[in-house]
Amino acid sequence: MSGIFGVLSFFGSVVESLFSSIGLDGLSVNQSTDYWDITVPPEDISVHGHLIDWLFNYTTYMNIFFFVLVCIGLFGFTFIYHHKKNKTPHFTYGNKKAHIWTVTIIGIAVFIGIDATISTISNNDLKDVFLNWPKDKEKPVKIEVMAQQWAWKFRYAGADGVFNTQDDVVTTNDLRLPINRKVLFQITSKDVIHSFFIPNARRKVDAMPGRISRLWFELTKAGKYPIVCAEMCGTHHYLMGAKLITYTPEDYESWLGQAQKLAVQTNDPEDLNLYWGWKWE
Amino acid sequence: MAFYEQHAHPAPKTFLSKYIFSYDHKVIAKQFLWSGIFFLGIGGIMAMLIRWTLAYPGQSFPILGQLLFPHTGGVVPPDTYAMLFTEHGTIMIFYAITPILIGGFGNFCIPLMIGCRDMAFPLLNMLSYWFFFISSVVLLSALFTPLGAAAGGWTSYPTLALTFGSPGIGQTLWYLAIFIVGASSILGAINYITTVITLRAPGMGYFDMPLTIWGIWMTAILNAIFLPVLGAGCLLVIFDRVFGTTFFLAGAAATTGSGDPILYQHVFWIFGHPEVYILILPAWGVVSDLLSFFARKPAFAAKATALSMVAISVLSILVYGHHMFTTQMSPLLTQSFMTLTMTISIPSAIFFGNWLGTIWKGSIRLDSPMLFALGVVFVFGLGGLTGLYLGTTTTDFYLHDTYFVVGHFHYTMAASVLLGGFGGIYFWMPKMFGVMMSEFWAKVHFWISMMGINGVFMGMIFVGYGGMHRRIYNPFFYEELRRLIPMNEFVTVSALILGAAQFIFLINFIHALVKGKPASDNPWKVGTLEWTIPSPAPHYNFKEIPVVKCGPHELGNPNLKDGKDFQYQTEELVKV
Repeated sequence: MSGIFGVLSFFGSVVESLFSSIGLDGLSVNQSTDYWDITVPPEDISVHGHLIDWLFNYTTYMNIFFFVLVCIGLFGFTFIYHHKKNKTPHFTYGNKKAHIWTVTIIGIAVFIGIDATISTISNNDLKDVFLNWPKDKEKPVKIEVMAQQWAWKFRYAGADGVFNTQDDVVTTNDLRLPINRKVLFQITSKDVIHSFFIPNARRKVDAMPGRISRLWFELTKAGKYPIVCAEMCGTHHYLMGAKLITYTPEDYESWLGQAQKLAVQTNDPEDLNLYWGWKWE
Repeated sequence: MAFYEQHAHPAPKTFLSKYIFSYDHKVIAKQFLWSGIFFLGIGGIMAMLIRWTLAYPGQSFPILGQLLFPHTGGVVPPDTYAMLFTEHGTIMIFYAITPILIGGFGNFCIPLMIGCRDMAFPLLNMLSYWFFFISSVVLLSALFTPLGAAAGGWTSYPTLALTFGSPGIGQTLWYLAIFIVGASSILGAINYITTVITLRAPGMGYFDMPLTIWGIWMTAILNAIFLPVLGAGCLLVIFDRVFGTTFFLAGAAATTGSGDPILYQHVFWIFGHPEVYILILPAWGVVSDLLSFFARKPAFAAKATALSMVAISVLSILVYGHHMFTTQMSPLLTQSFMTLTMTISIPSAIFFGNWLGTIWKGSIRLDSPMLFALGVVFVFGLGGLTGLYLGTTTTDFYLHDTYFVVGHFHYTMAASVLLGGFGGIYFWMPKMFGVMMSEFWAKVHFWISMMGINGVFMGMIFVGYGGMHRRIYNPFFYEELRRLIPMNEFVTVSALILGAAQFIFLINFIHALVKGKPASDNPWKVGTLEWTIPSPAPHYNFKEIPVVKCGPHELGNPNLKDGKDFQYQTEELVKV
């Protein structure tokens, strides 16, 4: 993507100088203004995120091709056939054959060029990857997520491997995951509809009260990334962020060991608020 | 073909019967137009407040800010921000675009362009406006309730919109207002459909109607089918909020039984997706006609354009699920909705082919309505193509509920419809008010608007792809989004330019009304029926009901005599 729009950075600098000439840059919080920097999406940290990026780019190239055609027609015809240059219009009325041909060719070109291709690719990705849920024998990390106004709660099964028991590791706005291992989420909401969005993994799924939605991915890079709520959930919707920290498998195991120990020590088995989880099925 | 004759009644004399409770379609059209422009202004100011907050969070809004939010020193507070984007969406869709394009042009153009004296049901027509008026009072009154107006987004999804999520009465009033405005649209729609079917002038077949009428007619059909669905949904939420039923309640608050909030999304989007086409179809119709009129050439494959409109109207019913890909519908539904969504690009592409075919080898006059029509082709191209990313499920996983979506639907629903509407206003101004607007300022208005529109919405598409999600008060709370600050500033400055450009239109419009140049009967030299009568259109339109003998786009026929390059629809078709 940056390749296509890199050309546009020239325009970015023009706009930038325009801004400063009308004195608006004084308002900028951030003075380093590379406008077209943002044509790069957040860094992809998942195994399958490139499928989505690839489809996005393919669609972009197709779109640019068709839009350039439209623009050639639009600007070209307006210029060539301006009434000062072309005094008498070409009369086409009743030329049915040309109409039928044009309409058919356009319909088929668009259908094959864009629609059939991208929906087939998207369909296959969906079927083979995104809805191909990890099997138990692949030992995915299982996590239960509950969204509420305005926080994310995460639950790991704890040492006994059973959810909603007193040794569960429960965190708020703090999700830690291993890389190179499949992660499977079950997500619900306590109150209103939220949406669990990890931009770096290119994935999101709604968290809905009364329903459990699922999501899986596999990450490739250790680091710190944002988790946000993408669905309007009230006044403080914008504050509903959590952080995702990814570890190498060894680091993850050592963190999990400590967290499990801590959970056994600090979880109060009498506290009913601890048991918001559900039985994993 | 006129099924029956409408008699010409004497014109009403009193102020009330002439201007307020008028049965005359032209007066009702103007009432809708005034109201629409008023709400366009309100919705526009809201948009400016929203944009300012996104680019300069924590800084006071210039001039108006101190007045509106004295307790925060002019900064928009977060709860008000939520109200602003909710009301902006609602007002622009139901109270600005709907009255201008459907209420205004629908009422004005249908009888004049199909050659009848008034609508089939003048009383329903008047009621349609007054329902709209009551509804807008209800909507605006919500702003003055203790907890403020609705703040759950224009979609107002339960369970956020139920009492525990939005305790204020403002949310109930929002549903009530939408219910009433739905009733208004249904009354209008029944009227339009009946008028088009029963009152076309003798000799006028369906394909002899101008494409504007085709667009409005399809819109009316979709309105009549789907606004009742929205009304039912709103009523059910009102039951939930007021009478304690639990149609949409779920989660921890559902202590006495639970429903399903997803049900509302289905009800909302089976209305909501056709609504997109309800708004855009009249603009498509107007553009198809204007391109032909100003290229002085018959509309290329007008029949295919009309049939594409029908195809899109039918398809629009079958694709609504693409708004709900992230709610995890069954894979079968997801895949079907994706495939059906993709098929919409076929009729859309046919539009583009026909539009370009129309201006191909024409003799193009770049008068202001033509500029706006060409502008629609440009921005709708961008809007339509960006829709492809959202129609494929996997890319939607990333882009759903980001600014990409906001940019996309503003390109289609705001930019195209607004430009189409302005084109229509500049074009029919002579027939509506009997005056011409200034061509020069119309062109200035066009070019500045065009720059503003593309700056705003292209910018939104870029920040959305950069990962900024929707409806957030302060995006820079997230460290990762801070790199988008410059682009957000660019979008806001473009929005301010776009907003400022509308004052050019407003001044031009008012100046024309007060002391504009009187218009001739047919200033644009086109042959549809409304141009056969004096400007402004007299009471009861046609002294004699015209007899139609040819199609609406008979321009540029080389065999026409007397230096004329067009013929009226009432004239016998000159053989080629």
